[in-house]
Amino acid sequence: MQFEKEVEILVPREKVWNFIWDVDRFITCVPGCKEAKTIEAGKLYSATMIEKVGPFRVEFPTTIEVLEREDLTHIKAQASGADNKIGSRMKLSLDVKLRQQGEKTVLGFVAGVDILGKLAALGHGIIKRKADQVLDEFARAVKKQLEGDS
Amino acid sequence: MLRPFRLEEPETVKEVSELLGRFGETAKVYAGGTELLLAMKEGLVHYERLVNVKNVKGLNDVTLDDSMMRIGALCTHHQLETSPLLQQKLAALVRLEQNVANVRVRQVGTLGGNLCFAEPHADPGILLLALGATMVAQRANSKREIPAEQFFVDAYETCVEADEVLTEIQVPVPVRNSGVSYLKFGYLERPSVGVAVALQVRDDGTSILDTRIAVGCAGPAPKRVREAEEQLSGKSLDEATKNVSKAGEIAGRAAQAISDLHGSQEYKEHIVGVLLKRAFQNALSQYRAVQR
Repeated sequence: MQFEKEVEILVPREKVWNFIWDVDRFITCVPGCKEAKTIEAGKLYSATMIEKVGPFRVEFPTTIEVLEREDLTHIKAQASGADNKIGSRMKLSLDVKLRQQGEKTVLGFVAGVDILGKLAALGHGIIKRKADQVLDEFARAVKKQLEGDS
Repeated sequence: MLRPFRLEEPETVKEVSELLGRFGETAKVYAGGTELLLAMKEGLVHYERLVNVKNVKGLNDVTLDDSMMRIGALCTHHQLETSPLLQQKLAALVRLEQNVANVRVRQVGTLGGNLCFAEPHADPGILLLALGATMVAQRANSKREIPAEQFFVDAYETCVEADEVLTEIQVPVPVRNSGVSYLKFGYLERPSVGVAVALQVRDDGTSILDTRIAVGCAGPAPKRVREAEEQLSGKSLDEATKNVSKAGEIAGRAAQAISDLHGSQEYKEHIVGVLLKRAFQNALSQYRAVQR
């Protein structure tokens, strides 16, 4: 499943960039994310992702690896996790791009999400919709956090 | 494999509600179990307690009270597809029930369970929306009536609270000048799109007095589409027939169709339009047949 989102934030690019690397603040914008830890700053992080669709609840202890980084411009990362209780795995590839547009910053991201295992029984459509909702909520939260600061 | 759980066997709605209130998210109502037990066997959900409601009396009757059909939430699909009273007064629901899943599911699966599990591809909720049904949910000492429009919240989600029990579905019996049709399209037992139309024609037979349109299966939950209804309600029969394509386009967009292995969003939106047109014609034919 591939998702593309763009969010315009009325703050300078430096501020958005610094925010992305501030793990404690950043995770407050990721719905269902808790216990984020820095294993190796700028390279390796861990977190637990919890999501619910009706009565179905998944908990993915996740490792996030930063693959590429170009200051103020681009981050490429991948994440993976498994919920052994329900026998399902999650893989995520993330391409984040920042560009300055006048006084605002455009934060764009392309996310590839794969859900494998029993959770897939819920149906591709429902999972896709949930992932889309999570990304929308994330984009709104980032905008709110950063614009609230300025 | 099914993990161990405790089976509670209450005999009254009050006891059921109290058990659900006491054990919260660790307990779940168990009626037919056709969807819940599958999910539990797959390990997708686990509850420490299942609260078997099948011993609660009075929840599996179909009765007619003036012009209101009262369907007990524990009525099985089979009971509904073979009910002479429903056949006489709500034939569209009987036809729908005859095509729910397969014979094994219909024998044990209940209407209440189907509605509460809120599986996105379940279709009874779509027709009940078009029929203007009301769901009755009870707690130990209280009861509330929920219009079908408010009942479905999202995929696998209804507005029934954790300690509430769905006890009855009330369906107004369509009046004489009316027609009701439900059509679905899908692969084997799984509908990808479902559309229901209920219309009422004015006494003089010249125009549509009221229309209710509901769509489902394509998106996360059944949905009434008022904007599409406006294309038909209050219009002459000819004008409504002309407008039905437009109503179909509106309903298609409103269906919140999700692309999946059974079809793209655009494809499902198109099918909504096709089914709506046919359902409208069916409903109109029913009305005309009764007038003859």
